[in-house]
Amino acid sequence: MRIVIAGAGEVGTHLAKMLSNEQHDIVIIDPEESRLKPIDSSLDVMTCLGSATSVNLLKDTLGKKTDLFIAVAHLEDTNITAAILAKRLGAVKTIARIDNREYLEHTTREFFKSMGIDSLIYPELIAAKEVMGLLHETGTTEFMEFSGGMLSLYVQKLEENAPVVNKKLRDVTREHKNTNYRAVAIKRDEETIIPRGDEVFMEGDLVYVVSTREGIQEMMKFSGKENFIAKRIMILGGSRIGKRVAQSLQKECSVKMIEIDADKCEELADELENTLIIHGDGRDANLLLQEGIAQKDVFVAVTGNSETNILACLLANKLGVKKTIAEVENVEYINLAENSGIDTIINKKLSAASRIFRHTTNPNVTQVKCMTGTDAEVLEYRVPEGSKIVKGKLRDINFPKGSIVGGGTRDGIPFIATGDTIIKPNDKVVVFTLPYALEKMSKFFL
Amino acid sequence: MLNGKIIGRVLGILLILEGICMLTIIPVSLYYAEGDFLPVVISTFITLAVGVLMSQLFRDHNSTIGKREGYLIVTGSWLIFSLFGSLPFTIGNAIPSYTDAFFETISGFTTTGASILTDPESMSHGLLYWRSMTQWLGGMGIIVLSLAILPILKIGSMQLFSAEVPGPTPDKLHPKIRETAKRLWLIYLGFTLTEALLLKLGGMSFFDAICHSFTTMATGGYSTKTASIAAFNTPYIHYVITVFMVIAGTNFSLAYFGLHGRFRKIFTNEEFLFYISLLLAFIIGVTAVLYFSQGHPLEESFRNAAFQVVSIVTTTGYATSDYCSWGPFLILVIFILMFTGGSAGSTGGGIKMVRLLLLAKNSRQELSRLIHPNAVIPVRLNHKVVPQNMLYNVLAFIVFYFLITGISAMIISAMGYDLASSFSSVAATLGNIGPGLGEVGPTMNYAHFPDFGKWFLSFLMLLGRLELFTVLVLLTRWFYKN
Repeated sequence: MRIVIAGAGEVGTHLAKMLSNEQHDIVIIDPEESRLKPIDSSLDVMTCLGSATSVNLLKDTLGKKTDLFIAVAHLEDTNITAAILAKRLGAVKTIARIDNREYLEHTTREFFKSMGIDSLIYPELIAAKEVMGLLHETGTTEFMEFSGGMLSLYVQKLEENAPVVNKKLRDVTREHKNTNYRAVAIKRDEETIIPRGDEVFMEGDLVYVVSTREGIQEMMKFSGKENFIAKRIMILGGSRIGKRVAQSLQKECSVKMIEIDADKCEELADELENTLIIHGDGRDANLLLQEGIAQKDVFVAVTGNSETNILACLLANKLGVKKTIAEVENVEYINLAENSGIDTIINKKLSAASRIFRHTTNPNVTQVKCMTGTDAEVLEYRVPEGSKIVKGKLRDINFPKGSIVGGGTRDGIPFIATGDTIIKPNDKVVVFTLPYALEKMSKFFL
Repeated sequence: MLNGKIIGRVLGILLILEGICMLTIIPVSLYYAEGDFLPVVISTFITLAVGVLMSQLFRDHNSTIGKREGYLIVTGSWLIFSLFGSLPFTIGNAIPSYTDAFFETISGFTTTGASILTDPESMSHGLLYWRSMTQWLGGMGIIVLSLAILPILKIGSMQLFSAEVPGPTPDKLHPKIRETAKRLWLIYLGFTLTEALLLKLGGMSFFDAICHSFTTMATGGYSTKTASIAAFNTPYIHYVITVFMVIAGTNFSLAYFGLHGRFRKIFTNEEFLFYISLLLAFIIGVTAVLYFSQGHPLEESFRNAAFQVVSIVTTTGYATSDYCSWGPFLILVIFILMFTGGSAGSTGGGIKMVRLLLLAKNSRQELSRLIHPNAVIPVRLNHKVVPQNMLYNVLAFIVFYFLITGISAMIISAMGYDLASSFSSVAATLGNIGPGLGEVGPTMNYAHFPDFGKWFLSFLMLLGRLELFTVLVLLTRWFYKN
């Protein structure tokens, strides 16, 4: 697949990195040489200096056939223009990043489609939705729903008091005879492991569990955590994400928001009727204490500055906040932040990339999620007739190491996969995979 | 710190590749049956065995090729190719001294074409074939070849590619390095076969046609004949070779665009225009001198002038006539041409056209900056502004180039060589040309150098082939410090 990415910003660079590891031909366009240089020397992609709205340059880079054009430059206007031009110049599919929610409304989408933009993407909105999802599933670090919520992937951090710590996976399954959830992967230190029977759970492990609705309560117990209802929320930073979260929660919960910029505070106070806006610096511990951080259920740090977010969350953790969520945009910091005790890291680059990534994989993929803090991916497939995956029991079909089928739904009924499971055509299955196995694994669904 | 395992693994795999190339000598040896069969088989076996051993020994590497590993792998691969590539010559005692065999081989791989053989015709056909083959492999580059055909070098390929092809204007033909490398090699192969066919039609034997097209397209210059191309005294052959030398000295990306019908890209490329005009100017000048002041017939003057100018500028190093007998003025002209080199992205060595062009442009801008001290006058290439750091890189390259030439010439003259011989032997090896002037002129060879001189010149060839920086950086302290 030939993919042209306009804009070598954070999202663009991340996409290029992710996609170039697979069999795609990537061209990335940016007007700033300083942004292209590091890409050129580290990734196997073609970089192209210039404006993404230049017709000549687009003609050159699109070449004979471009399957996907992704406009993720900084400015919305650039993206829209570039995507329209690219479509007219022959790109098969176009995606543009926007930052206006209005554009996402149903009628507007049709309108954009007629102009030549097939798909719109709004990273901040996706990240905000992720935060809101986590506020409902407060016992978990990261989660994602499949098949309309019948099956979910939970990421559980094992605390000291978790009953499974220091036990072998095999023994745990023997003790709890159940068919409602299954651990598909463990992230320990920097490494992601697909566990076998003799793998021992350790404190601090992040365990990726696929579970049906019935299994959630029991699964939570197994990691020593519990869902609680978030009532008091403090948001640090009046960024787009912060604003979205406040907007949708201010009616049911008590929301406080801290913002450093005075003018912005005025603006926010105007827009967010039921939220208490506080003007101040989130790195100031006294301010946080004064505003009663110790009594909060959830602390969400979404300023544009990753360091501020991490530090503030660490402080909140120490002061007894039950759950902390930090936006960390520097990918290098994610592991560090996770290990230092912050419950959940969100990263709008990864969220946006997940969405776009779906367009590049085979048409049977119905959902994709790139996990934060590990380079593993979770994909949901609709199983086509005659594919290799339906050939027999999962343990017999030589499914690649590094990938694992977690579960699926058949005729609307969720199931958890084991070695004995036989997948049938038209099932929807959830697969957890490490990047090196992705290519081999996806052949099972062709 | 350096990732030694991946270096060992990659070098091992490359050795296997060399061994496979050596296997192609076997049919030639068998066909001509000149007693070189056993040495060839033994060398192939050793090369393959060491390659397999190394690649198995360093199997569990963690596969990261950083900048440092990239430089070490590239330099190491050229050295190791020369070390093992010299086995066929030395095992059967075809070249008795190992120093000589190594010199001959590295001169092959670096496409220099400086030889220690007084009479190549006395060598067996199998070895002559291998000698031409080394140049052909080295022409487009060992790493580029392995990137094209070995799927194993997936990670870090960018590092390797840019360490072997360090020219200032990288042209990727395809988003993926591997595909770019494939296309380059296919074009290279295509031109080689075309030339071989044309030479065959001109009356060369099949063997000579293949060997000469190998060494022409690589701008190498090894001939199977002692008298070089002068042994084939038909104008047709001379013209064919001249044309293909010009092609070999052109950026191969342009050939790719040409094959895709994008001729505008070729005729608006400033480096190409500069290269062609420089060739034409010198050919006309040299023809005039030969015709008017030395009384050679017009066609012959033109043919020899064209052949010799192209041969030196593209750093091939073939000879149809002894330019050392052309009088002091033309000898000096030839000497100066030794510093030009082919285009970036070609198989030619030397300073390279694009660097000279940028140097000239920058110098002209400096003059106009004297008159308009506050003016912003960027240097442009193909209508695009050249970034400042690229200009610094070009200037540093040229300064290094002349510095190395000067110091090396002193070292050579300390061995008792005269001014012309010491300067030209350095220029001819550093520029990957082959023959120089005086005692290393086109009718002479490098056999008379002492062993130390041969090793030293071998080093210069490698330095020149990898465009200085890739090798020089290995000699700095920063490379080994964390």
